[in-house]
Amino acid sequence: MGFREHAARVRRILGIVLAVLLLGGVAAVLVTGGDKDTGTATKTVRGVIGSEKAEFFADPQVVKALAAKGFTVGTETSGSWDMEERPLDGYDFVFPSSKGPADELRAKAQAASKDKALPAPLRPFYSPLVVVAHSAAAQILAGNGLATLGPRGTSGTLKMDAYLAAARADRTWQQLKGSAGHTELSGTLFITSTDPVASSSGALYLAAASYVADGGRVAGDKAAVTRTAPLLRKLVQVQGAQQSGSDAPFRDFVSGVGNPLVLVYESQVASQLLAGRPMGDLVVLYPDTTVNSDHTLVPLTENGRALGELLSTDPELRKLAVRHGFRPQGAASEFTAATDGHTAYLNQTLTGVRQAPVPTSKVLHEMALRARDQGDTA
Amino acid sequence: MRTRAWARTASALALALLATACSGGGGDDRPVDHGTEFEAGTLRVLASSELADMGPILDEAAKATGITVRPTYAGTLDAVERIASGEADKAYDAVWLSSNDYLRLRPDTAKKITNETPVMTSPVALGVRPATVARLGWDPAKVTWSQLHRAVADGKLTYGMTDPKRSNSGFSALVSVASGLSGAQSALTEQDVTRATPRLKEFFTGQKLTSGSSGWLATAYARRTDVDALVNYESVLLSAPGKLTVIRPSDGVVTADYPLTLLTSARPEAKEAAGRLTTWLRTPDAQRRITETTLRRPVVAGVRPASALARDPRRELPFPGSRAVADGLLDAYDNTLRRPSRTVYVLDTSGSMGGERLERLKSALAELTGDFRDREEVTLMPFGSSVKQDEVRTHTVDPASPKVALDAIRADARKLSASGGTAIYSSLQEAYAFLGRAPDDTFTSVVLMTDGENTDGDPAAAFDTFYRSLPAEQQRTPVFPILFGDSDRGELDHLASLTGGKLFDATRGSLDGAFEEIRGYQ
Repeated sequence: MGFREHAARVRRILGIVLAVLLLGGVAAVLVTGGDKDTGTATKTVRGVIGSEKAEFFADPQVVKALAAKGFTVGTETSGSWDMEERPLDGYDFVFPSSKGPADELRAKAQAASKDKALPAPLRPFYSPLVVVAHSAAAQILAGNGLATLGPRGTSGTLKMDAYLAAARADRTWQQLKGSAGHTELSGTLFITSTDPVASSSGALYLAAASYVADGGRVAGDKAAVTRTAPLLRKLVQVQGAQQSGSDAPFRDFVSGVGNPLVLVYESQVASQLLAGRPMGDLVVLYPDTTVNSDHTLVPLTENGRALGELLSTDPELRKLAVRHGFRPQGAASEFTAATDGHTAYLNQTLTGVRQAPVPTSKVLHEMALRARDQGDTA
Repeated sequence: MRTRAWARTASALALALLATACSGGGGDDRPVDHGTEFEAGTLRVLASSELADMGPILDEAAKATGITVRPTYAGTLDAVERIASGEADKAYDAVWLSSNDYLRLRPDTAKKITNETPVMTSPVALGVRPATVARLGWDPAKVTWSQLHRAVADGKLTYGMTDPKRSNSGFSALVSVASGLSGAQSALTEQDVTRATPRLKEFFTGQKLTSGSSGWLATAYARRTDVDALVNYESVLLSAPGKLTVIRPSDGVVTADYPLTLLTSARPEAKEAAGRLTTWLRTPDAQRRITETTLRRPVVAGVRPASALARDPRRELPFPGSRAVADGLLDAYDNTLRRPSRTVYVLDTSGSMGGERLERLKSALAELTGDFRDREEVTLMPFGSSVKQDEVRTHTVDPASPKVALDAIRADARKLSASGGTAIYSSLQEAYAFLGRAPDDTFTSVVLMTDGENTDGDPAAAFDTFYRSLPAEQQRTPVFPILFGDSDRGELDHLASLTGGKLFDATRGSLDGAFEEIRGYQ
């Protein structure tokens, strides 16, 4: 015992000594090197982003384009709804994947900054939610009236009504025609999403499902949430543990492990296509009712706002956003022109895809909590 | 009953932490703990032990990115506990576990992690000796969990597996087999586990080896000709020295996806460094090197898995979504499903143990009682110049009233007193005689705690002769010696390797920590 305490004390003392030395070092740099930096005026901004935008910010060309405009951007990822849980001191912006968490984050930041009015959020680009499927799974869905496939069989439409009916009935893959011989397709049919309590795409999945299940009505109150709660609970509980960001389930899919149906952003698929990566047996299914995810930058500082402005307006950065599969707000031509070679996978004009309106973040959050059994069960 | 598992594990792990925070290398296979002060250009990573095989790739990463990874290896649950307690924040920038599924069941960890970036995948599978596969007439691509269960129940298959409470591969295997045998069509529920209990019990009669770490499991397996198979990650099984046929059961597997994950508390420089590292690890070239070198599966489109990896797809079994189900499963494993343990604690209470040392032993034993499982048989065998026969006590934890045995063990521990010389080897022989011919349905082991060198009774050489003359089944009982006080590392190391045990060092850590760590092997 004695030894343990002694060692801990020594480590603590060492830590303090090192911290003092480090601080001294930083101070020395500030004093001696301060004058070198005055010419360039590089703005270093830090932000918390949804995981699906990590590769965009890590892209050397994006880094270069931002540097040309005087920005160095540091990012870390988090589930969009989880961002609220984090202390935001020291960050210049947060960049969740949809409006709901953005509104909440803005309110939180506004409350913290008291009198000073924060700049408005910016929505530089968006991306619809799609389902990626392995080809065998997509064929079986099509053979059972749950999906339709395009001529090449690499993209199609997921019929949400039929899918939700199957979910309600606990339909298994084994019960579907054509599944014999595919041992990997067994167990309850379900789409893997992220944790709706933590992450935007998982919550938007529930928004789309509840809209369809409630006859095209947007949930506006507790009664509406209660009406669809049993179905939404089913959609979530069947999945077991869920990830908190959309990157991981997509990577599992690409790796050939994980569930054969995964909810992702169109941008995650489009960026792979635009990078010239072989897509293997991947099929993109656009749900006939889906939600467009408006990636929303909430500025916390003036530099954060300037970055959001730049992402929205700078032609080079818009072009790079497209290369990462996002659809810039405004004219659709930038996205359609860039993805012209990939129409076998992408539905450029979102033909036949209806946009489900998203409930308020309070209602959406309630939906998510009930689906995960974390809310009140009344 | 259900909450007991986690409470025990949590307190026990806290102790293990203290042990590992100070211990370094030596006879135990735990590498030196690097978690100390932050240093520019390095990333301090708390990592799963099997990631040691990433060494060559991380060397290349250092050349390409200028970022050096300094790993500290830990079991999954140990790591989760360190993150939840805030301990990890002080010493590390990132964690790199086989999976974060375990971590996610703890809501208190959500705020502590960020940037979960999966780097590669590997399913938990069975590696079976080719002769066994031939004997059973199996097509490895088509074997199901039910067939595996049948083979075990018929006495035709035995295997080794890590402790699900300490290691992700063991827990993943437990989830897989519970899903497979319950016929669950989606994420496991408590009812599924209950339904599958009789068949799971049969399945776990085939588990002949348990271990707190996958490294020791492989070593122990190599000694044993009577164990047919090993449960581990596909990558580990394919890299094992003796050739194993890898069976990914066709009705489903649980796959590890190795997310490199930042601690929220890490400083911005470390976060930026981790970003550069993961970007590099996700390049097609790095992914190719990873799959060729470590036999894990790439996560980047267009990179082909190494040719040794089978391409036929498998159903991914959902990981339990709630802590209640996960805890219930672990509790069932410990207290109902697994073969119970019979353990003899051979405890040095010679004169030199008097005073503070004896007090430490008593308090360590008292702590340990919180960790004994239902149906477990525990014998305290104190010795001085010989075994103190009138103090030898055996208690079995009765599932109906576990407290009775645990209280009795605590009371016995309190009564220990220091006197006499140190008869290590004669006492060990008595422990073997006590355990006798191990009945097939228990895990037997001997824990030896001594603070000095042998002064009385038989010399070391006599024990070697004794041990070698034992029947084969009895030789399978390992001795886990604990280095403590002035005991001789060389002699204890020899005992561990002679009997297929493992040395634990309490001279640099705590005695409680060593006792707790051994639990994974009992």
